[in-house]
Amino acid sequence: MSLLAIRDVTRVFGGLVALDGVSFDVHEGEIFSVIGPNGAGKSTLFNIVSGFDQPTSGSVSFAGREVAGERPHRLVRSGIARTFQNTQLFEELTVFDNVLAGTFPVTRAGVVAAALRLPRARREDRLAREEAHRLLRMVGLDGEADTLAEDLPHGLRRLLEVARALATSPRLMLLDEPAAGLDSAETRELASVLYRVRDAGATMVVVEHDMGLVMEISDSIVVLDRGCKIAEGPPMLIQKDPAVIEAYLGEEAGDDA
Amino acid sequence: MSDRTRRFAQSGGAVLAAAAVLALPLVVTDRYLLKVLTFVGLNVIIVAGMAVLFGYAGQVSLGHAAFTGIGAYTCGFLTARAGWPWMTAVAAAVALSALGGLALALPSLRLRGHYLAMATLGFSVIANIVFVEAKSLTGGNDGLSGIPFASVGPVRLDTPWSNYLLVWGAAVVVVALVSGIVRGRPGRAMAALQGSEMGAMACGVDPVRVKVTAFTLSAGLAGLSGALFASAVGFVSPTSFALETSIILLAMVVLGGTRSVAGPVLAAVALTLLTYIDGLIPGLSKTTVAALQDWKGDIYGVVIVGVMLFVPAGMAGLARAWRRKSRSVTGAGEAA
Ligand SMILES: Nc1ncnc2c1ncn2[C@@H]1O[C@H](COP(=O)(O)OP(=O)(O)OP(=O)(O)O)[C@@H](O)[C@H]1O
Ligand SMILES: [Mg+2]
Repeated sequence: MSLLAIRDVTRVFGGLVALDGVSFDVHEGEIFSVIGPNGAGKSTLFNIVSGFDQPTSGSVSFAGREVAGERPHRLVRSGIARTFQNTQLFEELTVFDNVLAGTFPVTRAGVVAAALRLPRARREDRLAREEAHRLLRMVGLDGEADTLAEDLPHGLRRLLEVARALATSPRLMLLDEPAAGLDSAETRELASVLYRVRDAGATMVVVEHDMGLVMEISDSIVVLDRGCKIAEGPPMLIQKDPAVIEAYLGEEAGDDA
Repeated sequence: MSDRTRRFAQSGGAVLAAAAVLALPLVVTDRYLLKVLTFVGLNVIIVAGMAVLFGYAGQVSLGHAAFTGIGAYTCGFLTARAGWPWMTAVAAAVALSALGGLALALPSLRLRGHYLAMATLGFSVIANIVFVEAKSLTGGNDGLSGIPFASVGPVRLDTPWSNYLLVWGAAVVVVALVSGIVRGRPGRAMAALQGSEMGAMACGVDPVRVKVTAFTLSAGLAGLSGALFASAVGFVSPTSFALETSIILLAMVVLGGTRSVAGPVLAAVALTLLTYIDGLIPGLSKTTVAALQDWKGDIYGVVIVGVMLFVPAGMAGLARAWRRKSRSVTGAGEAA
């Protein structure tokens, strides 16, 4: 059984059909990529799966449960974490505090427990801090723990968002253009982080324009163009697919060298 | 390591400050000064709650004086007219103010943008009309008098000293509890929300729930302050809870700064003392005092706008920036 099943998902904005009857399955343990030219509907799809948007019609089921229309903070609790195409970091907080914030859904202390500094709240806090440190090491940001997010070099901001998403302890990670703006060394580092994430047991859906990275890391790929699914399959086949080449030639000819 | 030392020094400093505040009546013999200092403590209680609401949850309230009023009238009416025991009346006062906060926040926070600020402004005005018009409960413009002193069992707190201790004892406890909240998980959720609402939602934070919680909490603390005010002074009237008071409270928390409890508390102390400056500094000329009184509202308004424009993170933000700078300088020194 698939972890994520997208069925006939359509999203209409006014007169614009951003997603048009899209269906596919993501299986547990996979790195699954969604690619397509600008405006294809990739981010819209992510917004729907993570609860930031709702489909006009169609269904999204996660671990066998219908989740379309559920609120984002609830979906995080059931195991769907995401990063954003435009990073949504807590700029005035430190790198460490950004990741610590990600432990929110896996901790419990409420206002009363925190106010009275109850032992269970303190224990939970200590564990959350240890976890945040561990994740910073995992993505290679442990040296920047005290840096404010706004002062972090551009290439590291996306890694921070990945670490924060990991802190929610997800079963499914949605990464929206994690390599955007990274240089080739940073992209290599990102790839190795993603492998580590997969080895830790999370399934990933990646939206990415860097075809080198996509072809290297993906087990399976779906191609969207103007809201429609035009191809699906392993990297080897997608690279040769005439419909895909056609869609990309129209958009970014010569960009693929 | 140094972080831990700093936190240790901070809690040490907080304990010392609390001890000093509670020991103050040993040296202060002037009744007027003691009364002013009691008012300072009452404002500290309100501002500690507003520090959570503004500095962490990022919400502006122009209505907290109204919640103080609800607490004051509830406690006053229940003890003076209905004969309730003091403790029960205070608990009811806190509960009613918190409930008022919840009733106001729930609908306005479901809407986006500045609806809450607008709603609190309207609430403040309406509450004041009710305080004036509901004469059978509030005594109208003449106010509610004959409110008994605080008493627990056989112990009656009927001296300025005991009232000072009551208010500041409560203030110390409130500041300690609030610090726990903002340093713990709820405070992290609020700071996240202020940083990026979408980012916070991606961390499992429910924005409406967090903001409503912060608002209810701060309304309840304002109510507590009002209840203590009523029993310490023995008299409440509508003017104490007018919009101007709400503006002064907002000025304190804005000046004090974001993501800090100490900043707003210090600002509350400073700005409350400023309000009573005529009585505290005897040499001040009559015209100066009159000018200060006339322009009070405007001065606080200018403080709010000025700070929000030029130092949006307030004194606490300046302190943070300064600490970072000094740390990065020593850090570079160590690395070299
Ligand atoms: N909230 C919205 N309201 C109206 N139109 C929208 C909205 N969100 C997206 N769209 C439109 O839907 C289409 C798909 O947008 P989407 O952001 O999903 O594309 P994308 O595949 O992520 O593109 P990119 O590669 O540029 O990020 C675009 O034409 C976009 O303008
Ligand atoms: Mg996109």
